[in-house]
Amino acid sequence: MKALLASYGRGLVTAFVAAVVIWACLLIVFPQLTMLDRALRLPRRALDSSVVATVIRDSATCVTVLKTYRDAPEAPETPDSSGGLASPSMGVMAVPGIAGATLPYILQCDRASTESRFVRDPDAEPETLASLHGLPVLKVDPAVSIAEQIAQAEAVADIARPLLAQLIAKEASAVPYTLDNFGFIFAARAIPMSPQTKAREDAEIVNMAFDLVGLRFEKDGVTHVRLTLVTLVRTIFFAMMATLLAVFVCYPVAFNLALASTQRKATLLLLGLVIPYAIVELMRVYAWVSLIETRGLINTLLHWVAIIDIDAGEAIQFKRSPITVFIVIVYTYILFMVFPMVNVMSTLDRNQLEAARDLGASSMRIHRRIVIPHAKPGIAVGCITTFMLAAGAFSVPRIISTGLQAEWFSQTIYNKFFESENSNIGAAYSFAFTILCFVIVGLFMWVMRARLKDFVR
Amino acid sequence: MHGKDVVLDGMSITYPNGFTAVHATDLTIAAGEFFSILGPSGCGKTTILRAVSGFLEPSVGRVLIGAEDQAGRGPNLRPTALIFQNLALFPLMRVWENVAFGLEAQGVPRRVRRERAMELLDLVALSVEAEKKPMELSGGQRQRVAVARALAVEPAVLLLDEPLSALDLKLRSHMRAELRAIQKKTGVTFIYITHDQGEALTMSDRIAVMNAGRIEQVGTGDEIYSRPVTAFVASFVGESNVFRGRVAEVADGVARVATPEGAFRGQNLTGLALGDLAMVFVRPEHVRISHPDTPFANEVAAEVMRRELEGPFVNIFLAAGALEIALQMPNEGDAGRDLTGHVTAGFAAEYTLVLPEGELARTGTEIAAG
Repeated sequence: MKALLASYGRGLVTAFVAAVVIWACLLIVFPQLTMLDRALRLPRRALDSSVVATVIRDSATCVTVLKTYRDAPEAPETPDSSGGLASPSMGVMAVPGIAGATLPYILQCDRASTESRFVRDPDAEPETLASLHGLPVLKVDPAVSIAEQIAQAEAVADIARPLLAQLIAKEASAVPYTLDNFGFIFAARAIPMSPQTKAREDAEIVNMAFDLVGLRFEKDGVTHVRLTLVTLVRTIFFAMMATLLAVFVCYPVAFNLALASTQRKATLLLLGLVIPYAIVELMRVYAWVSLIETRGLINTLLHWVAIIDIDAGEAIQFKRSPITVFIVIVYTYILFMVFPMVNVMSTLDRNQLEAARDLGASSMRIHRRIVIPHAKPGIAVGCITTFMLAAGAFSVPRIISTGLQAEWFSQTIYNKFFESENSNIGAAYSFAFTILCFVIVGLFMWVMRARLKDFVR
Repeated sequence: MHGKDVVLDGMSITYPNGFTAVHATDLTIAAGEFFSILGPSGCGKTTILRAVSGFLEPSVGRVLIGAEDQAGRGPNLRPTALIFQNLALFPLMRVWENVAFGLEAQGVPRRVRRERAMELLDLVALSVEAEKKPMELSGGQRQRVAVARALAVEPAVLLLDEPLSALDLKLRSHMRAELRAIQKKTGVTFIYITHDQGEALTMSDRIAVMNAGRIEQVGTGDEIYSRPVTAFVASFVGESNVFRGRVAEVADGVARVATPEGAFRGQNLTGLALGDLAMVFVRPEHVRISHPDTPFANEVAAEVMRRELEGPFVNIFLAAGALEIALQMPNEGDAGRDLTGHVTAGFAAEYTLVLPEGELARTGTEIAAG
């Protein structure tokens, strides 16, 4: 700090420190805290108060709809007044009949009941408004006259209203945080299967492994699978495989670039590596799609040389293979592996390689004893970067698999956030995912014995 | 351990870019010899070293070690070990692991190679430091680790590429003696590359002086210093005063050369003939202030320019026309302090050499910078 002040002066240092603090708060701390806050809160619809509020709203709508039938029994030609919610069948309404006798099914009236269920632990006995809060069982009976139905609906609303106020007050004073959202990661879903399918599925090695670690289990004779957890485990495993593949592909490239080439060759090699990165990531990924499609370049070529017959359905289904996703991920993120490796390797004194060779060491031994130990920090940085990018990859699995493979966890999170408005669960998923990746990276560093200070040398 | 002889048989090396680093060279280095290759940087001496160690293949000719042609053998297959200028110790390994690396490459079990490494570390008096990393050692200690590491593979020929250049002056002279002692003890052939004539002269059995890809002279230190055969060798090894002229008279191995500064007599070891362009060399320590009572064979009138005290001896610089003449005298009580004005410098014909006109070495400072 003193050195900074001495070399840049008070003004510049203050501006710099302020920028760093603002950056850290705005882009790291604040979003993570928001995410955590969201992850720890139950979704709104799961709150008791929102169930009660729904009942009140439904009762009110029911009353409104019923009133339109009561007031205009001759020609109820304004079905719109019910907001389009009332009836699944316009034909019934078109026939004017005796009021109350030919009323259509009205959803809101059906739901205006003190027997509405609360969202609770799926394993526990379902609770209703009446059973939980000791209310009388009230509902709208479609068999009675419209006036009576209106009265019933209003009664339901009246009894629910004080309860709503009570619940809101209670929820406001209670701690709103719960770990329930994280529990959804472990939720199991029953998979109904025919006995033949089940026998076949049971024999698969992957499923045996899942059975072993509890990702898949039998309950009441039905197979249950922890689908979200399976996706998570699959994603982590695939990301690790992609990282491993990247290491094997990049190590020779990096070694050649850093230590075994002339200046000219190294420049050309580097250019070849960098140019693809001047292309937008999506373009890079879509370029692969044109290669691997059923009628893409590879299949067409194979068809042309008569190895396969596309028309007979023999085209290679690249999109169904996780290996395709690995390869595209490796291609997409290869530079993040190569550059740290090259950086570290280029600091290795070539004389050491010659000395080792002069002392009789084989190439394998030179790599094992000299190059790899020296390049370890670079390899570690490359692995961490590639792993994080691969684990969080969204566009590659989505574009390459086009739904023909099980989704990656990033897609699950995306779906929770934007497709089913489950952002609290999505937040929990993404927070858990982040933590898990951190743990894996930490373990990896520990295994590699890579210390942080090695990364900056 | 015992050394093997090294023979370069008409070897020349041309790089892919067309530059000939070493012209056709015949050289025989005896087994167990401490042989130095001395020359300014870029003269091709390191190229010779790399050809012997196997990192380079000769473009023409052969390299023989112990009478065996080494063509096609990589550095890992030759009975040589190389000590690099920067030592190239493995920084992530312990000292003993460094020393044992060659044995590790041969598949020697860990316990055995550790024992062997400790023996070698004993030889260089470093067994206490076995568990340290090379970076924790001093420059001289690292030097000795490099020697031990190279000796561990029991090479017949040890190649040293200016290994002392990174050390300070005092340590350097200490390491010279140590290297010489190790060489004597092990009997391994040492080929020592250096641009430092002091190193070459003090340690070597024989020296080859190289210039621009050619070996100009091979001989013992005394031969190189006292009886150089080319202008380059005479000017590169030690200091010399040089006069240019034409041979005016030859008789009985002595030639008289007419120069703008006067006529000088000197040893004509290279057989120059009458009328040849020649250079006259005389070492500063052989130049005296001439006295009318005891005249020298060669004399030149000059003016005293300045005196430099070196300690054990004194340098006096004289001007003879445009030419500067250096004169060195032992410092026997304020030697030459009163010397001023016009004097006559003289030197004996037996200490004067007449050599064919040729390229002179650049001055010492330029060499060091190169």
